[in-house]
Amino acid sequence: MDCRTAGNEIKTDLPQLILVGNPNVGKSSIFGALTGKYVTVSNYPGTTVEVSQGNVTLNKRKYLVIDTPGANSLVPMSEDEQVTRDILIEADKATVVQVADSKNLRRGLVVSTQLAEFEMPFILVLNMADEARSRGIRINTSGLQKALGVHVVSTTATQRQGIDRLMSGISQAVLSSHRIKFDRLIEESTSEIEALLTGIEKGKRGIALTVLSGDDSFTPWLHDHLPEQTIKEIEAIRSRTQEKYTQPLGYVINLRRLRAVDRLVRSLQTTEKTLLRRARKRSRLRRVHPLISLPIFAAALYGLSMLTAMNPLFALLSIPLLLFSLYMFGDWGTHQVYGIPILIGVLYLTWLFVGDFGAGAAVNFLQDTVFGKYINPGASWLIARVLPWNIAKELLIGQYGIITMAMTYAIAIVLPIVGTFFIAFGMLEDSGYLPRLAVMVDKIFKAMGLNGKAVLPMVLGLGCGTMATLTARILDTKRERVIVTLLLALGVPCSAQLGVILGIFGSTGAPFAAMAIWMGVVFGVIFLVGYLAGKLMPGEKTDFIMEVPPTRLPQITNIAIKTFARMTWYLKEAVPLFIIGTLVLFFSDKLKLLSLIEKAAAPAVQGLLGLPAKATEAFIISFLRRDYGVAGLYQMSKAGQLDTVQIIVGIVTITLFVPCLPNFLVIIKERGIKTAIAIILFIIPFSFLVGGALNWILRGLRIFS
Amino acid sequence: MRRWRRGFRGGNEHQDERFEPKFDCKVDELLEMAWILEEEGSDSFEELKIRADHDFDVQFENASQAGMLEVKGGKFTLLPNGRERAREIIRRHRLTEVLLTELFDMEESHAESDACRFEHILSPEVTESVCTLLGHPPTCPHGKPIPRGECCEKFKKEMTPLVTPLMELRPGDTGRIVFITPKSHTILDRLTSLGIVPGSEVRLHQKRPTCIVKIGETDIAIDSNIAREIFVKRV
Repeated sequence: MDCRTAGNEIKTDLPQLILVGNPNVGKSSIFGALTGKYVTVSNYPGTTVEVSQGNVTLNKRKYLVIDTPGANSLVPMSEDEQVTRDILIEADKATVVQVADSKNLRRGLVVSTQLAEFEMPFILVLNMADEARSRGIRINTSGLQKALGVHVVSTTATQRQGIDRLMSGISQAVLSSHRIKFDRLIEESTSEIEALLTGIEKGKRGIALTVLSGDDSFTPWLHDHLPEQTIKEIEAIRSRTQEKYTQPLGYVINLRRLRAVDRLVRSLQTTEKTLLRRARKRSRLRRVHPLISLPIFAAALYGLSMLTAMNPLFALLSIPLLLFSLYMFGDWGTHQVYGIPILIGVLYLTWLFVGDFGAGAAVNFLQDTVFGKYINPGASWLIARVLPWNIAKELLIGQYGIITMAMTYAIAIVLPIVGTFFIAFGMLEDSGYLPRLAVMVDKIFKAMGLNGKAVLPMVLGLGCGTMATLTARILDTKRERVIVTLLLALGVPCSAQLGVILGIFGSTGAPFAAMAIWMGVVFGVIFLVGYLAGKLMPGEKTDFIMEVPPTRLPQITNIAIKTFARMTWYLKEAVPLFIIGTLVLFFSDKLKLLSLIEKAAAPAVQGLLGLPAKATEAFIISFLRRDYGVAGLYQMSKAGQLDTVQIIVGIVTITLFVPCLPNFLVIIKERGIKTAIAIILFIIPFSFLVGGALNWILRGLRIFS
Repeated sequence: MRRWRRGFRGGNEHQDERFEPKFDCKVDELLEMAWILEEEGSDSFEELKIRADHDFDVQFENASQAGMLEVKGGKFTLLPNGRERAREIIRRHRLTEVLLTELFDMEESHAESDACRFEHILSPEVTESVCTLLGHPPTCPHGKPIPRGECCEKFKKEMTPLVTPLMELRPGDTGRIVFITPKSHTILDRLTSLGIVPGSEVRLHQKRPTCIVKIGETDIAIDSNIAREIFVKRV
């Protein structure tokens, strides 16, 4: 926790603007509109787990804008909500911009009333005004302004509507005069606690109510700000009050708050039933019945696969098809029967785009044509002329050369695969399909001591394990977060690695059989380890409660910006590591260390896994980047140094093998050094054992000989 | 319930007000006893007199003046007005017995004496709700028939108990949350933070593979286990 607060430490003299609001209401969109800086915007709750910062100048005054993770309540229920609360409570001279979803005013006002109690000056932004309007929901904004005593602006951030009004309204942020009156007992205890909070300037009522709600995450803050004696007294007041209620105080307070908010909503919001009905009817029309749409979908998929077989460039068509199908019947994606073919179709389209276009056509073009014909020979020609020293030549264009190995791997092999994956993944994120996937797989995840919500970090792990490990914060308990971190580190291949893996299978004699074995083993291992971890780790199972956002038509511009941001991030993070990895190999090779390590690892790599000694290199560099390791195997298989069994065994082992360095650092940061080391100590022998067992079985069965 | 009002005011509204103060529990007791005797197959006025309360004469006078009970040649007859009223009292009494013994696990003797008080104070709306809550029981714990009410007739057609677990709704149905009985405080807190509290209206979108409910304009996926712990009244 210390580590994280340090990371979120906001050091600035600028006045702050803090964006706060329920999950998935568009805080990040507004952040982008204000600062012009892009942060990931997606259509599912929990996209923002890290705090982003940017600047904006309003009326010649510069502000620091802070985007926070979504929170349904300022009395936090999960780690990401806690991040938001901690920022608010520590912020001194901050203005809050509370973003709410216009069509879900009730949930927004819960946060508003809490902001009032914490005495934060704020303005209320009613975002997604377009969606509320189309549903016939009208909010009496002037009435709301009067009731809360703060400025209210309505916006549609994705279309930049109302942003100007928001900008000019920020200077009008004031403290809200609205106070909810709780039961007499609670009111009395609140004022008693408030009286004890000496030395605390503002937000006493909010603090007192938080303490009464029994929020454990708040204890450290209390210890920092109050003497032990006072904390004991406060605790005494709390338990005395709790004794008078049969239900937990937190619940009593929330219930009362919701009742008060409901009254407010009833008096300020009108819904035109006809419009609402028409909006629902529209979405019914959009949801063409699957019995009609699915056969058409299947036919389209079949046609597309035929076309792609002729020319991989046709795989580009899978993107519009994916977009269209997710929009047309995304709402059926949670159906117990139709959900399954939709899931298969979505996976297949993603595979066509990433596997056939990205890993196939694009990699071939970049590797064989761009690098093979122009860059590498060109660089060789140039360097041979410019640099007279042999060692420098080898360092740049030799077997372990920075251009011939690091840059070729990073840009020619991995970048197109990562890029196409990010495009497809962006579609899935923005269409709102991912939370629906969580609904479908909840039962399977239950067996692993998790619940469907864990599918978000796991699927995100297919993009990048490092980001996904951060996203594990959206899970409810520490136990779930540790299990997900373990499974991500162990078995979920990241997009870069995945793409290269798909590429290798394409080059074997029996691509589908090889891929099926690999997938079966990896899924089996994830499930088994998850199952055992779920059984062995102490703690209760948590139940699945998750918001399912509406399906939306993804905006091409958002996906383009998002993909671009992610690719930039990839280049910044991966390329230096690729170069370091190459240098490690280069010098170990020069110092003859490489052959020493290869000899030392021989019993494991050659004996147990039955791989050639050179494969050790792949394992060494996969400490730095998982995809880099697989790329090493890719090169070997292209050179004909591996047979099919060796390819399968090698890839299974390296998939399960250690997470990459950045991921490992994030594991340390998020879960602590002990957990991180325990995970690594488990993974290294375990992955070799699985690989060895697979080798023994495949050789024994003689499937590929 | 309309029937009850008709039975009570039935036809002679001017008398109604005159009788109201005196027309209290005692008359009810008398009518109740007459009903029980009829059930047992007796119409002897003597027996009614013995088994009824001590100020029988006053009560009988009141009842016959209100056109509820008449006596001819030592045999009593419940007139339509009185029969209707007796029916309602008996219904309330026996429903209360079922409620207290079967739902609240009270001993029968206690239940009996409480039921004697409840039968006079339950409003028609509450009676219907209790009946529906209990699933329209046909008999009391002593095995005697419970007179049917309007709700029981509807029940025959629609089979809809009043309060059901959210999981029992049909997809597309809306219900107002009556109470939540979660296993842990955490679940209660999570539900509360999403606005799922008693009093909120939710629409069941689907049940499988996982339950999805709509509250306001938000869709929320909830474990079936939790959906079984949320009790709603259909609206």
